[in-house]
Amino acid sequence: MKILLVEDDEVLIAVLTRHLTAQHFTVDVVKDGEMGWTYGSTFEYDLIVLDIVLPKLDGIRLCQRFRAEAYTTPILLLTSQNATTAKVSGLDAGADDYVVKPVDIPELIARIRALLRRSQVNSLPLLAWGELLLNPSTCEVSYNSHPLTLTNKEYELLELMLRDSQHLLSADEILDRLWSSDEFPSEATVRSHIRRLRHKLVSAGAPPDFIATVHGRGYCLKLQDSQLGCQTDLEPQLEPLNSPSAGSSDLDSEQQAQYLTFLNQLWITSKPRNLELLGTLFHFLKALQSGTFNHQVDRLQPQAQQTAHKLVGTLGTLGLTIEMQLARQVESLIGSNPPLSVQQIVILEALLIALEQAIQNTNSIERAPVNANSIDRSISVSAPDRSRIGTKVMIVDDDIECLRSMPQLLKPWGFKVTTLADPLEFWTVLQAMLPDVLVLDVNMPQINGFELCQALRNNLTWRRLPVLFLSAIADPNTQNLAFSFGADDYLCKPVVGVDLANRILNRLQRMSTWVE
Amino acid sequence: MPAKRVLIVDDEESIQTVVQFGIQMVADWSVLIASSGTQGIATALAERPDVILLDVMMPDMDGIATFKALQALPETAEIPVIFLTAKAQTSERRQFNDLGVSGVITKPFNSLDLPDQITKMLDW
Repeated sequence: MKILLVEDDEVLIAVLTRHLTAQHFTVDVVKDGEMGWTYGSTFEYDLIVLDIVLPKLDGIRLCQRFRAEAYTTPILLLTSQNATTAKVSGLDAGADDYVVKPVDIPELIARIRALLRRSQVNSLPLLAWGELLLNPSTCEVSYNSHPLTLTNKEYELLELMLRDSQHLLSADEILDRLWSSDEFPSEATVRSHIRRLRHKLVSAGAPPDFIATVHGRGYCLKLQDSQLGCQTDLEPQLEPLNSPSAGSSDLDSEQQAQYLTFLNQLWITSKPRNLELLGTLFHFLKALQSGTFNHQVDRLQPQAQQTAHKLVGTLGTLGLTIEMQLARQVESLIGSNPPLSVQQIVILEALLIALEQAIQNTNSIERAPVNANSIDRSISVSAPDRSRIGTKVMIVDDDIECLRSMPQLLKPWGFKVTTLADPLEFWTVLQAMLPDVLVLDVNMPQINGFELCQALRNNLTWRRLPVLFLSAIADPNTQNLAFSFGADDYLCKPVVGVDLANRILNRLQRMSTWVE
Repeated sequence: MPAKRVLIVDDEESIQTVVQFGIQMVADWSVLIASSGTQGIATALAERPDVILLDVMMPDMDGIATFKALQALPETAEIPVIFLTAKAQTSERRQFNDLGVSGVITKPFNSLDLPDQITKMLDW
């Protein structure tokens, strides 16, 4: 995604460019309003970030000019004035959103993502194509649960194709949209990136023509047989249950077809009900956004969480997997420790809008659901990477329940799991077990996870041991703190086996790349 | 598979319908429906089903309160109860087991599989 930044403050330019590039955005920077107009009207951008106070032509007038000339590119204003008048004149001039300086970078990036989603045909927070999943929030990409390690350009290329999956993209178009205006790549560059991307996709199990070439015209994602529903390939792997007389697991295709027809009929009548449930979530969002009625938020929160929970169960059981995943993200966000931060509220809004659109746009159900338990089982059948079998994972957590569940959760991946509830025994067990990966809880009695992590990073023998935090604490400050103590990754509880296993595998893969 | 009578207690109509459809299609068991905990208890008392599928999260009287009320009544105490929930955390499953429920079925589910799942959970 390509962003034009019109800003004259060098320090802010440096900070914003660094963060936006880290999020895989391509950034063009110009320092006055006239140049802003020249670039914005010459090149194609997905979004424009405009400072209000600019030399030659101020941000408000530049914004008006873009709109008057029928440029519809989303515009986000940066204003140092928190006064309502400045915001109102900015929005009236045609801006889509504004952020007040000093800029809170995570909030700005979340707002940019939300604006980009709104302007896309595909506005889901998670982008999917067959077995391919791309999460723009975390920049993680996986194919059939296998994580893919991509370069910046490969990631941007894939994201562009996923967001614009309805269109054939010519090499010229790709060059315009992914390279900044001061770079001069050729079509051969696009071809070589496509080639490398294809190679990585194939290594992860994708068909060779996942990205199809239409000779002389461009590239597009090819429709896969398994296009609708991420469980497609999992079904044949479901273990047959032992009771054929019951017929329930060896159901013949005719029964499944009838079941699907029934689900589709049911969807016609239950769609309005699901939208109605969503309405109560928007009501809760409104209360959060108004910010002043804390008692009202407190009153609505349990009901909102319950509603989101209902949606997870109902949408999933109807076979709407993507909608269920969105509802699950909503449920987990609403259930996080109150009060929700501004950034979390922005994410919640984006999720709700995406969920609403997904429900509205679903006119037919393509695939009946697979049982939740069966999904776990079938993923576990397909997921183990033979080279990782025997990887030693040590988990330190004072939550006994969590510890008990971990060996079971990670068993399908062939990890050797050792659990430890008492952090005082940490060094003894560490030396005895010599783990390949360490998973730490944050809050523990006597010694907390941060202290252990810091001690490891100061220890010559153990300083490179991959450390993943697994904690119920979801707030960004704690996560940042973990990284500042040397964490490699941070996951929030509750966690599902496949997520934890993927993060562990990811970390090991990066370690081995680094060692090579 | 011997004929059985199943009571589904869930405030979501679509879940009731899905459960009824799947069970009747595969096993031809009869399915009784209740939309709230209170209604579920009344139906259980009147009909004495072979098993109760009970949604955990319902407004007013949730699944856990309903289960405890059913346990407290001599007429319904012996009817096996299986929880339906969209949450599958181990700690919660354990909590459910400690309560004495006969099983937990996690949403999403394919209701064509329900008769088989229930049969296994209850050793029918």
